[in-house]
Amino acid sequence: MADQTTAVIVRSTPRASRGLWRDALRRLRRNGPAIFGLICIAIFILGAVLAPVIAQYDPTIGNLASGKQGPSLAHPMGTDLLGRDEFSRVLYGARISLTVGVVAVLVGLAFGTVIGAIAGGAGGKVDALLMRITDVLLAVPGILLAIGIVAWLGHGQIQIMLAVGISYAPIFARLLRGSLLALREAEFVVAARSIGTPGHRILVRHMLPNALTPLIVQATLALATAIIDVAGLGFLGLGPGDPRIAEWGEMLTDSARFLQSAPYLIFFPGAAIVISAVGFNLLGDGLRESLDPRLKR
Amino acid sequence: MLRYILRRVLGAIPVLFGLSVALFLFLRLLPGDPAEAILGQHATPELIKQIRETLGLDQPLYVQYLDYLGRLLHGDFGASIIDGRPVADSFLVRFPATIELTIGALIFAVGLGIPLGRLAARHPNGWIDGMVTVLSLFGISIPIFVLGYTLVFVFAVQLHWLPALGQIDPRLGVTPVTHFAIIDALLTGRVPAIVDSFAHLILPSIALGSIPLAIVTRITRASVIEVSNEDYVRTARAKGLTERRVNDRHIMRNAWLPVTTVIGLQVGGLLAGAVLTETVFTWNGVGSWVVTAIQNHDYIVVQSLILIFATIFLTVNLLVDIGYAFLNPRIRYG
Amino acid sequence: MALLSVSDLIVRFRTHDGLIHAVNGVSFDLDEGETLGLVGESGCGKSVTNLAVLRLLPQPAGRIEGGAVYFEGADLTQVSESSMRELRGRDIAMIFQDPMTSLNPVLTIEEQMVETIRAHREVSKAAARTRAIELLEMVGIPKPETRLRAFPHQFSGGMRQRVMIAMALALEPKLLIADEPTTALDVTIQAQVLDLLRKLTAERSTSVILITHDLGVVAGMTQRINVMYAGFIVETATTPDLFARPRHPYTVGLLHSIPRLDAGDDEPLIPIEGVPPDLRRAPVGCPFAPRCAWRIERCWTEMPPLEPLIAGERVTTTGPAATHQLACWNYATAVEASTGQPLRDGFVAAPPPATVIEALAAAGVDPGAGLVEFGQEGRS
Repeated sequence: MADQTTAVIVRSTPRASRGLWRDALRRLRRNGPAIFGLICIAIFILGAVLAPVIAQYDPTIGNLASGKQGPSLAHPMGTDLLGRDEFSRVLYGARISLTVGVVAVLVGLAFGTVIGAIAGGAGGKVDALLMRITDVLLAVPGILLAIGIVAWLGHGQIQIMLAVGISYAPIFARLLRGSLLALREAEFVVAARSIGTPGHRILVRHMLPNALTPLIVQATLALATAIIDVAGLGFLGLGPGDPRIAEWGEMLTDSARFLQSAPYLIFFPGAAIVISAVGFNLLGDGLRESLDPRLKR
Repeated sequence: MLRYILRRVLGAIPVLFGLSVALFLFLRLLPGDPAEAILGQHATPELIKQIRETLGLDQPLYVQYLDYLGRLLHGDFGASIIDGRPVADSFLVRFPATIELTIGALIFAVGLGIPLGRLAARHPNGWIDGMVTVLSLFGISIPIFVLGYTLVFVFAVQLHWLPALGQIDPRLGVTPVTHFAIIDALLTGRVPAIVDSFAHLILPSIALGSIPLAIVTRITRASVIEVSNEDYVRTARAKGLTERRVNDRHIMRNAWLPVTTVIGLQVGGLLAGAVLTETVFTWNGVGSWVVTAIQNHDYIVVQSLILIFATIFLTVNLLVDIGYAFLNPRIRYG
Repeated sequence: MALLSVSDLIVRFRTHDGLIHAVNGVSFDLDEGETLGLVGESGCGKSVTNLAVLRLLPQPAGRIEGGAVYFEGADLTQVSESSMRELRGRDIAMIFQDPMTSLNPVLTIEEQMVETIRAHREVSKAAARTRAIELLEMVGIPKPETRLRAFPHQFSGGMRQRVMIAMALALEPKLLIADEPTTALDVTIQAQVLDLLRKLTAERSTSVILITHDLGVVAGMTQRINVMYAGFIVETATTPDLFARPRHPYTVGLLHSIPRLDAGDDEPLIPIEGVPPDLRRAPVGCPFAPRCAWRIERCWTEMPPLEPLIAGERVTTTGPAATHQLACWNYATAVEASTGQPLRDGFVAAPPPATVIEALAAAGVDPGAGLVEFGQEGRS
C-alpha cells in the first residue's frame, strides 16, 4: 500500500530550469555567505553614496582644538590630528574607493575583453602577439605594475584608475581568451556549427554566455582587490595627491605615527577597507558557485 | 622534458626583451624633457648636459636602446640621482633584507597553510573547514598594511611581546656583513642578537604571508578533496592498504602538484607585497626603496628596480614550471 | 556452505538531494569457483552492492542500513575495519571500470604492484618485485622487467586493465569482483581481456562476480546471472536458462533490445520505453511497473518477492542446478517472451490506482512522468 511518506517510484520532474541567470539568482539567494557579502557591499555603497547626507562634518576642515580625540558621541570614530571628524572622512573615503575601484575594474574589463576577444577570436599570429604583450605586463607582479604606471603618469584619481585598471587587464584578457579558445572546440559549438548555425549566432547564444560567467566572477573579485590596491597606492603616497580628499590609504599613512596614541585612526579606515573587500570576495565566491550550471542543486 | 625546459626558457626571453623596451621607453617618455625629469629638482644646466651625454639622449632612439641593453647586460643599471651610487651596488646591500622577509613569509604561509588545508579537507563542511574558510577569507581581504599595523599594535604596543620596526635592534651593534640580519647576527655568535633578529622577522612575515597563507590553504584543501574522490584512491583502499598509506602515497603525492605551482606563483605576490610590508615595518629592503625612489622622482632607480623584480618573477615562474614538469610523470615522461 | 552469501542487503546514500535507496534487499549466494553475472542498467545498484561487500562505499554518504554479507561464514558488515583491510586485496579483490583513472598516475606500476603484495605479505621488496614480474607475464604484458618502471599513462587501455587484473590476482584472492572491466575498452580488446580473465580465474578456481550492463559479455563468461533493477534482484537463473527462458518483463525487454544476427530483416528492435526510477523515493510496489507492459494492479502497490519460477520448487541458490527465480506478479509466458509483448486477449497494462496517484501528488511528483502507457495491442 502506498504509505504516507512515500510514493511509487516515478521519475520526479526536476524543477524546471528557467535559464542560467534565474537559476543562478535562486542559488545565490540561498547562499548564506554571499548574502552576508551583499550586506557588507550595501553598507559600503550606502556609506559612499549617502556620505554628503550622513556626514555631519566637512571631511576636509578640522578644528585643531579638538584634534586627536577618541571616539565619542559627537565624533563616533574620533578626530584626526587636524581635528577632522574621522567618521565623515571614512564616509567620504568610501566615495573615493568606490569610484576609483569601480572605474579601475571597468577600465581593466574594457582593455582586457577587447584584447582577449581579439586574441581568442582571431587566433594564430595575432593571438601570439597579444599574448606576448600581456606576458610583459604580467611579468611585473601585482601592485608593482600599478605603482610603476602611477610613477609614470603622476598623481591623480584618473591616473590611479588607469594604473590599477591596466594592471588587471591582462588577467581579464587571458580569461576571456581562454574561454573562447576552449569553447571554439567544445562539442556543443561544433555541433551547432554542424547543423549550420551562423557564426555570429554561435558567438552570441552559445559562446558568450559561457565565456561571460567567469569574467563576471573575476570582475567581482577584482573589485575587492581594487579597493585594497587603491588604498595601497594611497598608503604608499601615490594616492590622488589632493590633501582635500579623504582617501582610506592616505588616512592610514597619516595616522601611522599615532599607532600608540590614537589607534582608532588606523582601525576605522582599516576596518572599512576590510569590510568592503570581504563583501566583494564573498559575493564573488557566491557568484562562482551559483553560475556553475553543472551543479545540480 | 629537456625540450620542454628549452621551450619555456626561449619563451621567457622575448618577454624580458619586451619589458626592457617598455621600461626603456618609460624613462624616455616621461612628461617633459627626459633629462629634466630624471634630474628633477637637482637640475642644473651642467648636470643636464652630463645626463644627456651619459644617457646619450641626443642619439636616435634605437641607438639609445642598444646602449641601454648593452649596459644592462654588463650589470650596469645606472645610478641613483639622490646619492649617486650605482643601482647595482645599493641593490646588493638592500636585497638581502627583502629575501629574508620573503623567506619568512613563505615559511609562514606554507608551514601553516598546507597542514590547515589538509585538516580542512579531512572533514569537508565541518566546523574546522568553516573556520579555515573564514581565515582564508580574511587573509585575502585584509590589506598587508592594515594587518601590519594591527599586529604591531597588538603584539608590540600593547603586549610588548615582539619588536615593532626594523630588522634588528641597532643598539645590539651587529655589523652588517652579508646584510642578512639573521646571518649577521649568527656571525656575532651572541644569542641575544640572534634572538632579536628572529624576533624582528616574525610580525612582518605574518603580515606579508597572510595572502599566500590564505591561498595555499584554499588550494591545498581543494586539491586534497578532489584527489580523495579519484578512482585510484578507491583502488588503493580496495587493495587493503592502510589509511595512512592511502593518505601519504596516493592522496598527498597527487595533491601536492597544483599546490607547488601555486606556491611558486605566490612568490611574485610576495615581491609586490614586500613593497608595502617594508614600508609598514621600516625595513631597509628593496621594496621600500622603490617607494622612496618614486617619491624622490629617482626614475632611473625605479626603472631598474622594476626590471629586476620582473626578471626575478619570471625566473621563479620558470623554475616552478620546470619543477612541476619534473614532479608530474605525465609531463616528465610524455 | 557458500563462499559468499549476501542476505537482504540494504544500502542507502545520504545526499543533499535526499536519501537515495540504492540497494533494497538483495540476496544471493556464490560458491567457490563460480562466476556470477550481475546485470542491469546504470543506477540499478549492481556496483553499489559490491562496493558494500568490500565496505568501500563513499563516506560518509553511503551506509549499509540492513542485511548481512557472509564471507566464509563471517558477517563482513560487522567485522572491524582492520579485519576488512586484511581481507581486501588478499581474500577479495576488485577491479574497476576505467583503468586509466583507477591507477595512480604518479607512481610506477612497480610501486603500485609491490605495495599491494607487501601490504599483505611479509616479503622483501626484491621478492615482491619478482612476483610482480611473474604476474605481468601471466597477464601477457611483454618485457615485464622494463614495463615495471613505467607509469600508467604510458600503457594502452587494454594493457592497463591487464595490469589491474595482475594486481587483483597477485595474492590469489578467493573472490574477484570485476566492475564493468571491459566497458571502457575497444571491442577487440574486450574479448582479449575477458578471455584472460576467464582463463586465470578458472585456473585458480577464483569465484568471480562480473558486473556489466552488456548481456553479450555475461553470455560467454558466467554460469549464473542475477538481473537487477532499481536496487532489487528481479530475476536469477543459470546463464543458459536465462537466455532460453527469460520470464521477467524487464529481462525480456533487455533481450529484445539487443540486435541479433539471426533476426529477420523486418523484426523491430523493441526498446524498453520510459526511464529508470528516481531512487530518492523509497520503493513501494514493483519499481518496474511504470514501464512494464505486463503490469497488473497489484504491481503498483506490492513488491513481489523473489520466488522460484516453478511454484513450490525447493530453492538451490548456487551451482549448475540453481533454481530459476523471479520477482514478478505477472510474468511473461514462453511465447510472450520470444515475441517481447503480452499476447493475452483483452489484457491492458494496469494504470496506477487512485491511491497511488494521490500519494504521488501529495509527494509533489507528477504521476504522469516516466509512466509508459500501453494500448490494447500491448504497446504504446
